[in-house]
Order: sequence, then structure tokens, then C-alpha cells
Amino acid sequence: MKSLPSVVMIVLIMFCLAVIPAGAEQREDQFPDGGALNYGEYGRPATLDPITSNDMISLRITELIFNGLVGIDEKQEIIPELAERWEMEEDGKKYIFFLRQDVTWHPREGEDAMPFTADDVIFTYNIMMHPQTITPLKVRYEFIESVTKTDDYTVTFILKRPILNALAKFSFKVIPQHGPQNTEFLNREDPFVQSPIGTGPYLLKNITADREVILVANDNYFKGRPHIEKYIARPFADQNIMGQALMFNAIDMIVLVNHRDIPQIQGDKRFVMQPYNALSYSFFGFNQRNPLLADKRVRKAFSYAINRQEMLDSFFNSQGTIISGPFAPGSWAYNLDVQPLPYDPEKAEELLTEAGFARNGDGIMEKGGRKLSLTLKVPIAKESEAVKRVVLAFKNYLQKIGVEIEPEFQEWMSWKEDIFLHHDFDLMYASWVFDDSADISSLFHSAEIGAWKNNFGAFSNPDVDGLIVEAKLTLDHEKRRTINRKLHETIADENPYTFLWTLTNYAGYNKKLRKVAIHPYKFFSFADEWYIPKSEQR
Amino acid sequence: MRRFSQYAFEIGDVSHVSFWKKAGPMDRVYIGYGLLVVLLVIISYVLGATGTLPYDPQEIDLELIMAPPNTSGHLLGTDFMGRDMLSRLIISIQAYFLPGMLAIGIAIVFGTCFGVLAGYWGGALDIATTYISNLLNSFPRLVLILLMVAAFKPDIYYIMIIVGVTNIPVVASLIHSKIQFLKQKNFIEAATSLGLNNVAIIFKHILWHNCRSVLIIQATLGMAEAILMETSLSYLGFGVQEPTPSWGNMVQAGSNYFMQGKFWPSTAPALAILFTIMGFHLLGDGLNNMLERKGDR
Repeated sequence: MKSLPSVVMIVLIMFCLAVIPAGAEQREDQFPDGGALNYGEYGRPATLDPITSNDMISLRITELIFNGLVGIDEKQEIIPELAERWEMEEDGKKYIFFLRQDVTWHPREGEDAMPFTADDVIFTYNIMMHPQTITPLKVRYEFIESVTKTDDYTVTFILKRPILNALAKFSFKVIPQHGPQNTEFLNREDPFVQSPIGTGPYLLKNITADREVILVANDNYFKGRPHIEKYIARPFADQNIMGQALMFNAIDMIVLVNHRDIPQIQGDKRFVMQPYNALSYSFFGFNQRNPLLADKRVRKAFSYAINRQEMLDSFFNSQGTIISGPFAPGSWAYNLDVQPLPYDPEKAEELLTEAGFARNGDGIMEKGGRKLSLTLKVPIAKESEAVKRVVLAFKNYLQKIGVEIEPEFQEWMSWKEDIFLHHDFDLMYASWVFDDSADISSLFHSAEIGAWKNNFGAFSNPDVDGLIVEAKLTLDHEKRRTINRKLHETIADENPYTFLWTLTNYAGYNKKLRKVAIHPYKFFSFADEWYIPKSEQR
Repeated sequence: MRRFSQYAFEIGDVSHVSFWKKAGPMDRVYIGYGLLVVLLVIISYVLGATGTLPYDPQEIDLELIMAPPNTSGHLLGTDFMGRDMLSRLIISIQAYFLPGMLAIGIAIVFGTCFGVLAGYWGGALDIATTYISNLLNSFPRLVLILLMVAAFKPDIYYIMIIVGVTNIPVVASLIHSKIQFLKQKNFIEAATSLGLNNVAIIFKHILWHNCRSVLIIQATLGMAEAILMETSLSYLGFGVQEPTPSWGNMVQAGSNYFMQGKFWPSTAPALAILFTIMGFHLLGDGLNNMLERKGDR
């Protein structure tokens, strides 16, 4: 269910609560300090540093420990963070960042806090780009030519070519030069990945034997001390137990409430359910190496055959949006003029007939002796109920138009190999999660067909290729939007996926938490402003 | 009772009193209960084959998801896809029966072979089979199954092959010790001195007359074990896969709703597992008592 294409960051759509700009040393607000927030997580984080980690659990924790040069506020605007200001020169090929001089790294035990300087930024960039560092970030920063420091508090980035929204990319988290043991590259063996130090609002206190991650407030945080004293991430193996833990006040927050539990938590006055839109969508992907599926009409027939609204209502309490194309609907690139294909089984059968299929004796569509009998490969996830439901319903809908679907559930790694390496499938079910919703080049460009590449279905269309390249090269936001709208339309028509929906995510938390604002992707970006009233601190 | 001519061949094995008479009153209850379970298995196949189930077990009704028992004709309610629980419960046993037989077959055939080789001939063969048994025993079964699932796909037959193979040492050691015990008996010595060949001695006098009770009991326990194994694997998501119903995956799917007070979708299959496994165990127990008693009460 999880996957990660795409490159840049920018995330749109938010539920803006009160926005109060962060002050300098002392917080200007009068909200009380203290209290602890226990939150339930879906598992144990593998690593806690921002470079080697590649799962959402780690990402949420690193958001509390580290800072980037720039940050993003609740209105999705870029704000200063470790850099207090910046300049852009040479038509966007050169960025100069002037760093804050009052930032110190979290002190290690028995050591003094070290100051944050330009060397740390350069160190982070170098370690990130080192060939032996294993990180998903590398491809995102290939646009940078070089980094140099002018003085201790000034760094200059030279870009290979000007790119749109370059500034947002400088939100990568900076790690200290004196952090990792190995100063050349970072891998999971380095002690730093388990006991990181950063500049952020919270510092890692310890990880308990149960793998609870305990973070305490950083008194010297440059935006002012955060209000809540302690953050504790508690891993749960079972989502049902996590839901119950919230109900019985064993934890104060669930970062992503299971759709099954929504009605129960929503009906309880002790809790708040806060929606946040992740940039993601689910789909059925077609393998166009199968000649039967290379026909656009067949693919479209599949999309007409399924009742997405019914599935969304029955399985997800209608908490989501049906989509029509390759962009997440929260994205500025999404084209609202393109309508999702309606549920129309008759039209579906018509399309199949038009493509030369006819029902055989068993009622299965057949063409030239080849039956429309296809395997659907699905990974087994820990929490598989939603997946099973969608897959079984899909099979059921397609049966009605004479298509036989054989679902095959697979262990995660072998599923990945079959889809991305061997391309041994007819249909697959998955979701993409984006941090940059506008960049879909790795999904649909024909150059991305191949082993371990994201265009696993071998979709190839010269118009789409052209539009993708054009969108990448342009520096004009409006023009790029127009191109993306056209791209959306073309891909929707080609139907390389049966696009399904984006689900609304909900965080569920105890009412004692106040001023909760959630970043749709990184989650805890604004957590330093959350607070718990004195009377409710336990 | 016995004629002299039979004496050399059959002393120490069976008498001619009928099995049922040898069973004690409780044994009859046990066996009766066990046979009832077997009968239910047969009924399940008959109902499944003739399509006389209350509902089509695969029919999805999205309007009626997680309906409580006795809702519009669904006697046990519906599951997370709105499918009829009772019908799925009935045909679920089929998910175990043939794969379970495979596991039992592997364990018994190979276990007996190894047991005979080691026990009857002994020597180097004994050492070799002991090593193989130890080797098999030292592999954790669950890890082997997960490896199998990762390498191929989660298929109940693959899983049951592993269950069967890992059961070989158990059967082998039982047969082995039984043979070592029997070899000291004079009827074997008599058979050998009368010039019977090894094949006849092994198959007739050792296995058929003296080991069949052990093997039958192993078989019934093996079926119970197969069901339990599938249930625990289903909890990890690697058991029988949708849309094929199995009690294991029904319990797993239902357990998601247990905490919300919707207990029926997990309780019904769980009870089915309980009573079926109990049935196979009691059947094994009853048969054991009956066959071991040999009418000398």
C-alpha cells in the first residue's frame, strides 16, 4: 500500500487553523508549557535520522528533531528556518542562504552544545550525495551543481539549471558535522541513525526496550521552547489495539485513524477527529505488455465497469474523493474539468464488443480464442482489510461484464519483484504517495520503462512523453499548469490505470491537545506550537 | 480362541473380537463425536457440490456489510464483504481437508519409511536417519513456511507440504521405537526363522498388525494440527487467501471488529475450529484406546 515516486516537495491543501508566526527566543503566546503527548504509531521506526530513513514513521519523528534551511508554514508558504534570509542570483541558478547565528545543536551527554554553522549544511549535502549513502533523497538533489561557504554563516548553492520551486527543495533536514561517526557516508550501521542530534524543537531522550521513542522539549530551540514537555511514540502491532488504547486514554493521539474506527471516535466527545489530505491515490494498474490490455478500449471498459462511489461509501464511510487522472486532487496540477468515468457496465460491455470480444459459453469475454481472464497481484499488508475489500469488489464488478479476475495475494517483497522487476502480472493494485504531486514523469514517461522503474505497466505515449518534458522544462508556473492540465486529460483518456480515489486521512486525538495543526505529509511540522492546558496535564 | 497354526504369526497382535466391542463406553462417545465431525465434512462437500447452501458463499452484498445474525435470512450474519457467514462456515472445512490429507500423507509415508529403515535394519541407516530427523527438527516450522510463501506464493498446499515434512521426524521416531520394541519379541524371531522375507515381516507383522493404531492416531492429530497451523498463518495474513473461505481467514477478518462489539464474524469460525479440532483429538484418543487394548480386558 505504500510506495513513493516523485521528487520535489511542496504540498498543497491544508486545514488552516490559527496561524501565529513563530517568535524568537521566548514564545510570544501565553500558552502553558508542560504535559506529555503519547501517540500511537503503526510500528517501530527503522532509523531516526532524516537521510537513511524512508518510512512515514521515521519521517514523523525526524520532523520533531531536525530543521531545514527553509520551512513551510500552514499556508504552504516558504518561511525562514535555519536560514534567516536568502538571495537568488543569475536567473535562479545561484542561491545564497544567510544562516541564523543563534542555533545550537542538541547537546550530547557530557558535552556542550555546539553551534550550527555553514559547515553543517555542506556536510549534510555531501553525505547525502555520497554514492555509498543509501537514501531516497539523492535523486531529488541532483539538480545542485555545487555548494560552497562564503563564511561561517553563509552558504551558496549553484544549480545545474534553474528549476521551478527550487526554494522549497532546500527544506531538507540538516544534520550536524559532529553527528555521524563516519563522516564520509551514512548507512544504517552508524550509531547516529539510532541516536541522532538535531536543531529541532525536540531532542531524543532515549528509546526504551519496547521501542518507544521518547523525545523531550529543547529548551534552547531557536523559535522558543515548545510547549509540550514530552513526545512519546508508542508502536502498536495491531491497529485495533491502538484504537482501544485511545479510547482508554493510554495514548493521546493516533496519527492515522483506521476508517473502521472513525464512527466510534467521531461519536465520542472526548476526542477530536482532524482531517488532513495526504497527496496519494489508489489505482488498479494495467500491464500493457499483455496484448489484450494494450487496447485502450479494454482498459476503459474496466474503469466503466466498477462502481467507485459504492466502494467508497461502503468501505471508507465516503471519506475520500474519486479521481479522474494521474495527479492527487489536492494538487494544483489536478484538472477539475476532467470527470471521472461514471459507473456504466453497459458501456463497458459495448467497449469490449467494439474491441472484438464476445462472451463464450461460460459467459466470459473472448477474442480469437483468448479469454479475458487476468491475474491481479496484490501485496499482503499488515492491515489488509481495506485492500481485500477493494480487490474482491473489483473482481465482483468485472465478473458482471464477463471478465474473470484471479486475485493473487503475495508477500510484499515478492510482489515488488513481480511488478517492478519481472513485470509478471496483468493487473495490480497499489497506491502512490506523493510529496510533489505535480511530478508524475517517473510514472508515465516511456523512458521510465525497465527494471525497478516506476512505469511498470510499460505505458508509452508520445504525446504524454512530450508534455512531461515540456512541463519539466518550463519555468513559468501558469504555463506549467496549463501543460499539466493537458497531461491530465490525455492520461485520463489513455487510462493506463483505473484511477480510484484519494482517501481523507484523519488524525484522532484527545481534546486536551490544543492548537493542533497538521502538515499533510510530514505531520508534526507545527508541533512546537501545540499545547496542553495546565489543568489537563497529567 | 486361536488355532495353533496362526500362533507363530499373530501372537502379540490382534484378536478377532470386533473393534467396537473393544471400545470402552467413553471411547464410544469419543469416536462417535469424532465420526460426527467427519460426517459434517462429508456433508459440507455434498452441500457445496450440489449448491444447496443457504446462500452463495461468494456473493457480495455491499448494502449488507457486517450484518448481525439473523438479518434478512443470514442466520449467522454477514462478513466484511456482506457475504453469508453460515455458507462460508460450512464450505470452509474444504479448505483444510485435502491439503490436510497431503500433510498427513507426507508425514506418514516418509516417516514410516525412515522409521523402518532406522528401526529394523539399524546400524549406519539408524545413524543417518537420526541425523536427518534432527536436521528437520532443528528448522523452525514457521520460518520455513514464511520462506516458502516469500519464494512462491501463499498457497495452502505449499504450507501443508512444509507441515508434512516437518512432521516426518515425529512419525519416524514413533515407528522406530515401536520396531525396536517389537524386534525383541519372539514372534518376529519366529517369523524370521520360518523363512518369511523382510517385506512380509515389515508390512504384515510390524506395520499392519502393530503400528496401524499409532499411524491412525497420528493421522487424526495431523488433521487437527493442519487446521491450527492454517489459523495461525491466517492471522499473519499468509493462510488461505481470499476469496476462498477458511476458518482461519474468517477469524482474522472478524477480529478487526471484535473490539467494537461485533463478535459473531470471529466467534462462529473460532467455535468451528474448537469443535473440529476437539473432534479429531477425541477420535484419535478413542481409536487409540480401542486399538491398544487388543481385546485383553
